[in-house]
Amino acid sequence: MSPRAIRWTIIAGVLVLWEVLPRAGLVPVLFLPPLTTTLSVAVTEWRSYGAALAVTLSQVMVALLFAVGGGILVGAIVGGVARMRQVLLPVFSSLYAVPLVVLYPVFTAWFGIGSEAKIAFASVYGFFPTMLSTAAGIQTIDPNLMLTARSMGATPVQRLFRVILPAAIPTVLAGLRLGGALVIIGVVVAEMLISSAGIGYLITSSRTVLNSPHVFAGVLLVLLIAIGFDLAMRLLEKRCAAWSGAGRARPGASDVRPAEA
Amino acid sequence: MSQTLAPDAAAAAADAAPIVSVTGLGHVYPSREGPVHALADISLEVGQGKFVVIVGPSGCGKSSLLMMLAGLRHQSEGAILCDGRPMSDPDPDRVGVVFQEANLFPWLTAIENVAFPLALRKVPRAERQARAAAMLELVGLADARGRYPHELSGGMKQRVSIARGLVQNPKVLLMDEPFAALDEQTRMAMGEELLRIWSETGKTVVFVTHSLTEAVYLADEVLVMSARPGRIIDRVAVPLPRPRTYAMMASPVFGALRERIWQQIRASAR
Repeated sequence: MSPRAIRWTIIAGVLVLWEVLPRAGLVPVLFLPPLTTTLSVAVTEWRSYGAALAVTLSQVMVALLFAVGGGILVGAIVGGVARMRQVLLPVFSSLYAVPLVVLYPVFTAWFGIGSEAKIAFASVYGFFPTMLSTAAGIQTIDPNLMLTARSMGATPVQRLFRVILPAAIPTVLAGLRLGGALVIIGVVVAEMLISSAGIGYLITSSRTVLNSPHVFAGVLLVLLIAIGFDLAMRLLEKRCAAWSGAGRARPGASDVRPAEA
Repeated sequence: MSQTLAPDAAAAAADAAPIVSVTGLGHVYPSREGPVHALADISLEVGQGKFVVIVGPSGCGKSSLLMMLAGLRHQSEGAILCDGRPMSDPDPDRVGVVFQEANLFPWLTAIENVAFPLALRKVPRAERQARAAAMLELVGLADARGRYPHELSGGMKQRVSIARGLVQNPKVLLMDEPFAALDEQTRMAMGEELLRIWSETGKTVVFVTHSLTEAVYLADEVLVMSARPGRIIDRVAVPLPRPRTYAMMASPVFGALRERIWQQIRASAR
């Protein structure tokens, strides 16, 4: 069996177990409602779930913009300027280790329990990994490439856009992947803690009344967002990293040597 | 213009106005242990279309000198004129540079790498493509235009790098140990290839190496530098005829030149 086939078999197996175990009475329905029950909730109540999904998604998008835009910008500056790097990088690295979620109540005090607090929290949450990996990416650019560009008369602006940024793309993408995941987590967690709308809010309010099918329908939606994000990232990585070698090395390319030997 | 001149007159004109001229160049840079005298009292002239090789012991500043000729570094004293004007900044119209590593941009294909300097100058796309393709053809890589650097062997990468150095049609090509990272066989083949490209394009080449065999094989003139502070301690004209062949390496003249250079370097490094 190919790894792909094995993977799909496992996923199918999990889905089947999800349906069979509660139906057979092996797992209490309160703990795990059958898959079909969960799906039927999502379908019959698509209005409230759709609205919640729209709220969560739109907030993820806005937070992603802040986290990634800010992260790449600040990361490029911090990574590119030696002085900034020496002063700020240790501070940012330590901040990254702080479980920011403890600050969420503070955010609600500042911004209220609406979308602003969620967006602000998730933005900060996703900002650090994006920023740190962009800084690392900029820092590790081969100085010989910069020298070469200079020897061709590249201006500082041309060096930024034609050398530094393309060279930093793989690491920026890695940061984007991590930052994006944290933004999704940030929004959903914030909704579950203190908020007035969104999938996380729906999950928590269903949980307090022990409505398991509604909880799991919400979980499924979060799963969908995560999968969607992963697919989008893969597409982006495929487009941007055509040269990186990992994705494109043609088997036997190294054998095609001209008559040098 | 050269057609209106008699051959002798043209040669005289070339001698009268060297394409590269360095006068009284010296370089001192600060370090923790005080100022370091890297280069001292260097004067040289390179005639149009000549192949000049600079050799010297490690750390003698031959690469630094080349970077200064390229306008990538600034000397603390003396003047460098290229095509009659000072080299205060990199100028790809006058000078193309090939480094020890090919330094190709890994996100660009071979032809995009060669066209890169033209893109910086906003040359129209069609012209860019045509000129880059012609250069790849010149270095024998017409078939590899769509490949990425990681799909090329070391020798092929360095050929792309040479094509890129020549694409803006500079008067002078500076080469900083371009074949040092290649294996011996590839290195020999690349030397031969370079001489072919040189004779087809008529460029002036200034070439830095630490291989004495390579130096004598390639050069019209070998400039021998001393250990730090780097000075030019000998200028060795290589009277071997062109085109050069591998067989010449076994000739007494070749051996004698190589030995003379070696003795100079050994004496200076002591």
